[in-house]
Amino acid sequence: MYGMPMTIFLFVCLFVTGVSCNSVGDKIYVDFKDNIPCVRLLNATHQIGCQSSLSGDVGVLHLLESEENLDWVLSSGPDPPYMVMLESTLFTRSVMMKLKSSSNRVAGVVVVAPNTNPSAGFSPHASCPNENSGVYTEKYSPSLAHCNATVWNPLGNNLSYEEFDFPIFSLKDDNDTQAMRQCYMDHNRPVNGSKPRYPLCAMQLFSHMSAVTDTATCMRRNSIAMSLNPEFVCDPLGDVNIWALSKPLNVTEKGHKPGESVIIAAARLDSRSFFFDIAPGAESTASGLVTLLAVAHALRNATQEAQLNTTIMYTFFHGETFDYIGSSRMVFDMERNQSIIDLDNVHSVLEVGQVGLHGDTKLWLHSDPVSRRNSSIDEEVCVFFLLNFSVEEPGSSQALPPSSFQRFLRARPIPGVVIENHQSTFTNRYYQSMYDNSDYLNVSYPPGLTPEEQLDFVTDAAKVLLLTCCLQFDTRFTFHFITVMLCRGFVEQTDEVSLNLSVFFSPGNTTTNFYIGVNQQMSEPTILVQFMLANLTGSVVNTTQENCNNQKENEDDKETKHVRPTDRLMCFCVRSTCRTTKAVSPAFELEEYTSSNYSTWTESRWKSIKGRIFLVASHDLEMLTLGVGVGVLLTSLLLTFFISSKADILFNSGREPTNATY
Amino acid sequence: MNLERLPNEEKLGLCRKYYLCGFACLPFLWLVNVVWFFREAFRKPAYTEQTQMKTYVKRSALGLLFWFTVLTTWITIFQHFRAQWGAVGDYLSFTIPLGTP
Repeated sequence: MYGMPMTIFLFVCLFVTGVSCNSVGDKIYVDFKDNIPCVRLLNATHQIGCQSSLSGDVGVLHLLESEENLDWVLSSGPDPPYMVMLESTLFTRSVMMKLKSSSNRVAGVVVVAPNTNPSAGFSPHASCPNENSGVYTEKYSPSLAHCNATVWNPLGNNLSYEEFDFPIFSLKDDNDTQAMRQCYMDHNRPVNGSKPRYPLCAMQLFSHMSAVTDTATCMRRNSIAMSLNPEFVCDPLGDVNIWALSKPLNVTEKGHKPGESVIIAAARLDSRSFFFDIAPGAESTASGLVTLLAVAHALRNATQEAQLNTTIMYTFFHGETFDYIGSSRMVFDMERNQSIIDLDNVHSVLEVGQVGLHGDTKLWLHSDPVSRRNSSIDEEVCVFFLLNFSVEEPGSSQALPPSSFQRFLRARPIPGVVIENHQSTFTNRYYQSMYDNSDYLNVSYPPGLTPEEQLDFVTDAAKVLLLTCCLQFDTRFTFHFITVMLCRGFVEQTDEVSLNLSVFFSPGNTTTNFYIGVNQQMSEPTILVQFMLANLTGSVVNTTQENCNNQKENEDDKETKHVRPTDRLMCFCVRSTCRTTKAVSPAFELEEYTSSNYSTWTESRWKSIKGRIFLVASHDLEMLTLGVGVGVLLTSLLLTFFISSKADILFNSGREPTNATY
Repeated sequence: MNLERLPNEEKLGLCRKYYLCGFACLPFLWLVNVVWFFREAFRKPAYTEQTQMKTYVKRSALGLLFWFTVLTTWITIFQHFRAQWGAVGDYLSFTIPLGTP
């Protein structure tokens, strides 16, 4: 009878408080909106990237004002460890190495990504990219190995390949970041050299990586299927290579195709930066790949009409940034007769490298001097240069720049050239960094276009000058891509051809991410390029979607794909020779995880990546609170013991037991 | 179980059972034997079964000491050197910690 109203009262209370939920956590912590961490990658010998502790690293926030101010973090600051907040101008090798060397006082680093690119150039990649996986080894050519003759990426500070044992995150420069700077100014800033008083603004970063040491260790730990829940700690990097033929070949028969002569026109599909999943790669990747797509489209009708006896294979290799994953896999498959053609079928290789042009830079055709010592190869290569183009040849004893063609040369000497926009060192100042974006290439629409109009923008004055081996075409085309906009304007000057490339990806105004990622899923550019290539080299077929996906081939040489460019445009079925093959390093096929011949890059797994900012009290206050609590506990225990032992005296005094008479 | 209520023969029988079963790689039984029967064997006034009980308790204590040193040594070595042993260390481990060597 007492119970009923009480329960109703309790329910009402719970309902009211449950609905208007006031979480204590929300009042203390402010979480980061987007998390852009640096993650751990492993190869046969090393681990690179960043690691945090399992329960996050906490540090007092410190906004670094200059490199001299580092002294506060490294030695004189009274409240280590510090969480260092860097503006992008201070994100240099010297600052990071100093922070790395005293990592007991550094809890983590946060880099504020600017809205404009730094003018001095920045490249966290190596100065000699893919040094040990190209063709220039000590045996092949000691004078050209290890970039002895030409350092390709002189701005490279190798930061991407260093190992840090604290987390490093990147923040966009927006209101939240400004709030963090304000938090530092209000609480943490030392005034006149005096010690800042508690409570201080602190930050906690979680990016604990599961894999450790090297690829062999983490693959072994993946496969130890013991204990209650087997854990995967890392995954090999991989994706797919995309290729299309100008003339259909039988795909089910693998290995050597007698009588076929194939020219491989190659470009790369991937890029990277210091941070995870950020790889705009505009000049290093997108320029070459879009050029090759344009070539494929432009040559579609021409090759069918001309009835050539050489086939052109437009190939897009993925994973070239990480020791040539895609091209090494394709060469490996060709050597094992697992690919559609054989290395004997390959007539030559033409690769489109970084071709983004700034102002009036020229195009250069690079070739390999060592293989050209053989006169037959030299003859083939010279054919390229006889074509009446305004491109130049750099010094004849210069090595090939880092390119997929090097992996073909590793297998056997094949004639080939690589088209680049630099004569010796890269002109790209932001090679494989987060600043290699469309701003750098000066992509721009004509002013005053709405996003829809921009998407439908077509250049009129597009004159395509195409370089293909042994063929010379001079064609005018206009391009209209539904999801990829290629805007080309050609200005033919006296002896120069300049390409102005504008590359736009996806109308949502987000930057494309060219990072290869792990094997489980295809990256967004891969899907995009695959459908684009199918659309550009194939022909439309009039069937329904189900028929399109299920069609059994009469000829095993073409594949139908249902191309669905964007949600609001019509979908249609395309029949083309475009196909994909797996691009996972042969080291993982052969299970040679310490291989020095193939790429062994893997990416670690992680549980959670987040960051948050809050006010933290001094250590003394925490200890005092704990001490007081323990004291209260002990006092109450003593008191209870004392009272219970003297209970009869305390509670029976002055009370006569009444004799109840019933 | 209250040993007070048992007759002496049964106490001896219990002590013997614990002593013998401890040989099956069960040092914890020996620990129980020592702790439980210590007062019975050494502090109570003498009775006939007590001499036999004393030998059992002493031998249990010896066996316990032996196991303790062996296990402590092995655990110290393993925890210290597991990271350096590479593959062998991983195959010996039941749970491998994430993110640390």
